[in-house]
Amino acid sequence: MTEWTASRGRGRFTALIFGGPALAGLAIFLVLPFLMALALTFTNQRLVSPQATEFVGLRNYERLLSVTALVQAPVDDGAGPVWPRVRDVTRADPAYAGYRPLTGFSLGTRRVTILAKDPAFLRALLNTFVFALLVVPLQCVAALGLALLVDAGLKGQTVFRAICFSPVVMSMVIVSVIWSFLFDRDLGLFNKALGMVSFGLIEPVDWLGDPRTAMPAIVIMSAWQGAGFQMLILLAGLQGISQELYDAARIDGANAVQRFRHITLPGLRQTIVFVLIVTTIAALGLFTQVDVMTGGGPRGSTGTVMFEAVQRGVREENISYGATIALIYFALITCVILLQQLWLRRRARRAA
Amino acid sequence: MNTRRLLIALTLSCAVLTSCGPGRTPDRRTELVLWKNQVGLQEEAATVALIDRFNASQSKWRVVAQSLPQGGYNQSIVAASLAGRMPCVLAVDAPMVASYAWAGHLRPLDGQVPAATLAQVSPAAVGRYRGAAYAVGQTDAALAIFTKRSILAQTGTRIPTLDRPWSGAEFQTLLERLKASGRFRYPLDLSTRDDKASWWTYAFAPMLNSFGGDLIDRRSMRSAQGTLNGPAGQRFGTWFRALFADGMVNRNEPDENAFVKGRAALAYTGNWWASDYRAHAGDDLLILPPPDFGHGVVIGGGSWQWAIGRTCAHPDGAGQFIRFMLEPGNIAALSDAGGGVPVTEAGAAASRAFRPGGEGRVFFDLMRRFARERPSTPAFPTISNAFTAAMRDIMDRKDVRDALDDAVDDIDGAIADNPAFAEERP
Repeated sequence: MTEWTASRGRGRFTALIFGGPALAGLAIFLVLPFLMALALTFTNQRLVSPQATEFVGLRNYERLLSVTALVQAPVDDGAGPVWPRVRDVTRADPAYAGYRPLTGFSLGTRRVTILAKDPAFLRALLNTFVFALLVVPLQCVAALGLALLVDAGLKGQTVFRAICFSPVVMSMVIVSVIWSFLFDRDLGLFNKALGMVSFGLIEPVDWLGDPRTAMPAIVIMSAWQGAGFQMLILLAGLQGISQELYDAARIDGANAVQRFRHITLPGLRQTIVFVLIVTTIAALGLFTQVDVMTGGGPRGSTGTVMFEAVQRGVREENISYGATIALIYFALITCVILLQQLWLRRRARRAA
Repeated sequence: MNTRRLLIALTLSCAVLTSCGPGRTPDRRTELVLWKNQVGLQEEAATVALIDRFNASQSKWRVVAQSLPQGGYNQSIVAASLAGRMPCVLAVDAPMVASYAWAGHLRPLDGQVPAATLAQVSPAAVGRYRGAAYAVGQTDAALAIFTKRSILAQTGTRIPTLDRPWSGAEFQTLLERLKASGRFRYPLDLSTRDDKASWWTYAFAPMLNSFGGDLIDRRSMRSAQGTLNGPAGQRFGTWFRALFADGMVNRNEPDENAFVKGRAALAYTGNWWASDYRAHAGDDLLILPPPDFGHGVVIGGGSWQWAIGRTCAHPDGAGQFIRFMLEPGNIAALSDAGGGVPVTEAGAAASRAFRPGGEGRVFFDLMRRFARERPSTPAFPTISNAFTAAMRDIMDRKDVRDALDDAVDDIDGAIADNPAFAEERP
């Protein structure tokens, strides 16, 4: 009994010694700042201010998340139905003080406008998830394709691997600047190529200047930049699959597609799960590309949550509001990752 | 081998403990720490030379300069202030003077720099807050319209002067003729490629002023309602929106050289491009005042300025340094090296480019006659971001009134959250 306790105690001690430095680092650089940010969200702290910090309760959260709707009946001014201008209503009616239009739709003859106190944040939230939804599959499939290609035993595959990996090593700022040139409306490579292929039939697209194409353009560029990293991880996973399985399958007469479907994919399951999670987390932190290539524009179509947090918290010096954005986002990302984990685990269990 | 290792070790420890270096005489002068932003090599060298000259002339003070990267300069100041380690003399970007003064980082220049000296300085180059001067620059920048004599001749447009600038209508006609000529896909370059709030506010708020609007009501500094989104602001916004919708301006030029490469006929930018443009166009180059949209020509004013830290133990030393920097010869030396516009008549007269008859004299005249400082309020960072966001939205075809209302709500909201921003001015 005592011996057991002693050995258990010693084990705990050893664990503390080995884990201590890492735990201390986590506590000082992760847990403590997080708790400080949490405390900030209930205040009106600014970056530069001679004023004492005041407790403001849930004001920051209320501003960030308030959503309401404005239903307007048409006013007939003789020339057909007209709805009063939304901003005139919201700025005059104290009930709508601080609200701005987010989006709207019509319901019969009535016009419904969804209002939010911070539409830019909600739009940024949507943009970020759209980005993740687009970039994660694209990047992972591209990475898998590259990994298979590099693993196929072609000549000069080391060179090929280096080429595929080189964008990852480059600074994101530099990549962003170069791709801004490629996406340029009048002189960019993509429009020139599109024009040449279609003999001038395809009109030049203002990739980064059109709210419809700006986010897809950033998705393509980000997938290109990031795929090399996932490729490397998947490559390691591929090389971990026993060659004997492939040999056995070949003897059984399985073709390439069957081998991929029944050996490669199941063999890579854990790697793919890891790659998916890492890519999702990286995608949800989208900032540099937006900051360099579009500055959140055109008309807020590429603003992301991280971009908003920096914009409000650092550039406008409203650090308590920036902290609130970061905190809510942290909670959201945690939920997303937990759901993703749960879903993947259930799939794995069903498969097994 | 061993002796060599010993030598290396000795050298290293010498580098760490500079005290064992030979030839260091003890300095009994009082050290004044100076912080400045990193700038171009020549300007950096000129400032360092000026500081050396000051130190050589001194038996009492010795200025120790440190250059900080411009990107994180503001954060460094804020951090230093929070940590109670502010330098004695510091360079401050003009739009931040009010913020710093309000936050108590700075000490007024009263008593250190005589009012008579400040009166010589171009008004926009003096950083004031609530009636007190807190900072003063040696050089400033000036915006102008750059074009070529030959281009104006081909379109039959008169050459405007400082006394008779283009009207808004004349400018519009010129743009339409240039566009119709087919030679220029986008006749005007407004440097909208630069998406930083500092450029957008510096470049386009003066145009708003010329239309009769402003970023905020400067008398009360409490609200932007009516001044930013009023009829004048809406006229300005509508005009600005049409520039992009009609293809007069490219929202994102692929590089900064639209004028030099002949893609644009007109460039609206500052004196810092003058030498490149002169090299490109030679005698054909015209440097013109921006158009008068109804309320006079206005250009932005206020660049990096010298200020004294609030906690400085020797403000008289800091004051002496700033007075030294404002001597005409020293202003001219910095201007000659960095290309900035001297802020005083005497400084300009002593400089190479900006003396009467000098090739850059027009910038000095533009600055003296038309420069308007940014609204001096600690809310300026918010104002600048809100205005920039609104103008970029308008460029991208957002409804002008909605965009300006958004900006006003941002500005007024920030001021309402921080009542001290708008306290009564003395």
